[in-house]
Amino acid sequence: MSTDDSTENREPAWLLVTRREIVSRITDKSFLIGTVLMVAMLVGFIGFSAWQDERTDEVTLGATPDAVAMATAIADNAAEVDDKVDVTLVELDDEAAARAALTEEEVDAWLHPVDGGWELTTESSEQDSLTDVARVVVRQQVLAENAAGVGSTVEALEAGSSVSTAFLRGDAEKAGVAEAVGFVFVFLFYFAALIFGMQLASSVIEEKQSRIVEIIAAAIPLRHLLAGKVLGNTALAVIQLMVYLAVGLVGLSFTSYKSYVPALSGPTAWFIGFFLAGFIALACLWAVAGSLASRTEDLQATSTPLTMLMLVMFFGGLSLDGRGQVIASFIPPVSAVVMPKRILAGGVGWWEPLVALGLLAVFAAVTVWVGERLYRRALLQTGGRVSLRQAWSAAE
Amino acid sequence: MLEIRELTRRFGESTAVDRVSFEVPAGQMTGFVGANGAGKTTTMRMVMGVLGIDGGEVLWQGRPITRLDRRSFGYMPEERGLYPKQPISDQLVYVAQLKGMERTAARTAVAELLERFGLGERAKDHLEKLSLGNQQRVQIIASVLPRPAALILDEPFSGLDPLAVDSMVDLLRDYTRDGIPVLFSSHQLDLVERLCDRLVVLAHGRRVAAGTVAELRDAGVPRFRLVLGGDAGWVRDQGGLDVLDLDGTTALVEVQQSGAEQHLIAEATRRGDVHEFVRVRPALSEIYREATA
Repeated sequence: MSTDDSTENREPAWLLVTRREIVSRITDKSFLIGTVLMVAMLVGFIGFSAWQDERTDEVTLGATPDAVAMATAIADNAAEVDDKVDVTLVELDDEAAARAALTEEEVDAWLHPVDGGWELTTESSEQDSLTDVARVVVRQQVLAENAAGVGSTVEALEAGSSVSTAFLRGDAEKAGVAEAVGFVFVFLFYFAALIFGMQLASSVIEEKQSRIVEIIAAAIPLRHLLAGKVLGNTALAVIQLMVYLAVGLVGLSFTSYKSYVPALSGPTAWFIGFFLAGFIALACLWAVAGSLASRTEDLQATSTPLTMLMLVMFFGGLSLDGRGQVIASFIPPVSAVVMPKRILAGGVGWWEPLVALGLLAVFAAVTVWVGERLYRRALLQTGGRVSLRQAWSAAE
Repeated sequence: MLEIRELTRRFGESTAVDRVSFEVPAGQMTGFVGANGAGKTTTMRMVMGVLGIDGGEVLWQGRPITRLDRRSFGYMPEERGLYPKQPISDQLVYVAQLKGMERTAARTAVAELLERFGLGERAKDHLEKLSLGNQQRVQIIASVLPRPAALILDEPFSGLDPLAVDSMVDLLRDYTRDGIPVLFSSHQLDLVERLCDRLVVLAHGRRVAAGTVAELRDAGVPRFRLVLGGDAGWVRDQGGLDVLDLDGTTALVEVQQSGAEQHLIAEATRRGDVHEFVRVRPALSEIYREATA
């Protein structure tokens, strides 16, 4: 036909499909609302933590005359123990007045001596920060008095009893941050792979069910359709992920953890790389799950092996440690979440992420190859669910 | 011209299409009839390359069909194949681009066709918001983009009201007038009889009849109806004839030996008045029923 030669310099078919996938999704209200909501939640969470971080706990401590001296010591020394606690002293006449003040919420707690020590009475809920401060200060005061009583000093009594901690690699706070960010990585991967995967699978079913796939199959090779769908969804997932990570890192730089931001950038970049390879591998499998179903209702069944795999990745990513973690960090697709976590914790040889990423890329290539064959054969089978075995051996 | 030669497709043990051959000549409407499961859809999907072929071949302009040939065909799958939740102009442009049109050309062509079908105002509406007849129009637009070399339409008239059928027919005639071959399947025989230049009947995966409507109706053993002034009982004694029905003055006969009908009419005029002597051609539905029985 006369159209033959004029069609070859047009946009390649897979690019057309990719563009349609992206455009139809980003103009979809639920996708936009979901993304905006997630960003708002991130900002809100970081804002809340920062505020929590900066906030000073103001507590009023009531003391009857027999406890004023001790209470004064607590109020004066509170800042040394915990700089986020500000204690105001209120002197009360007697026990009855103290109980009344507590009930009226004029004071948050009432300090009074009991046999063999002191008691902090509160109305119902525990005043954690005040209790901590009171424990330390009371102990110091009493210890000092007792030491003086036996003609010694606190320092002399405590000499040689301290246990301090030291880390060869980083410090405790850094390890905590690594742990928390690692959790975020695992969660984001799971979340994105599941949401975008499900979406991809149901768009495959939509095309299969409405038979538009036959019109498409008559016009372009199905390989291009699969490639376009996988690339479009991968691009969307990666862009969304990068938005979340950017918001997270920028947000973090407004909190007291800002010193960690530069150190987190490297692992975050690695994570994006692992996410990309891992997501492409899984996206092909999701497309297969969609092509095996003949109606949306079938997706539950055809995607079960995949959702199990996602759960294994999620819990594996969260719970593995020690040698298990090292091994898992090379095994695709679990490596997509485990290796970035190890990189965060530090102590990973420079070659390790490269090897893991290489293996993951090989795995992705295999799933693309297998997925393409299954997808192509299952997609045009009508009449009920297609089993993997049928799809693999079916004639085209 | 599109030629289907000995086309065969098996699904496991069963043979869905068994050495089916027919032609779809340029500029003609060829109707494809048969019961559900007769193999019409399977045949059309093989012609479009959507389904693999186990045996036989499809020829286009006398040579084996290629992917690019197929890409220039307009195809309408059995169940309406477009995205329900997308604006109609967007998806039509997308389909046109997949078929190799350049984007701006596709936009212009889609706008023109939508206008022509009275859907210009609805270009931004989602497909599912349209009535069934309008959805069908959108579907046909999708299959004629870009200007098709041939049209393969699976049940294009199902679910359409008579007016919508007429406007669809007008459109198809526009294409046949330009020399484009059209193959469409249907099980509305009256419609097929009215529209088609040619007809292919499938039953259980086999072609049981093919030809123009007139050819098919003339094909069987000729039948004549004779209405006389008096009793027609004597017709039974005439040679070379098979009396199918005899009712007072009326007889329906099948000619077993050619020329026997001439003897019959001569004998009838000799005996008295002849009120009617006509060739009876079976209705298409009758042929269909016999062919597929």
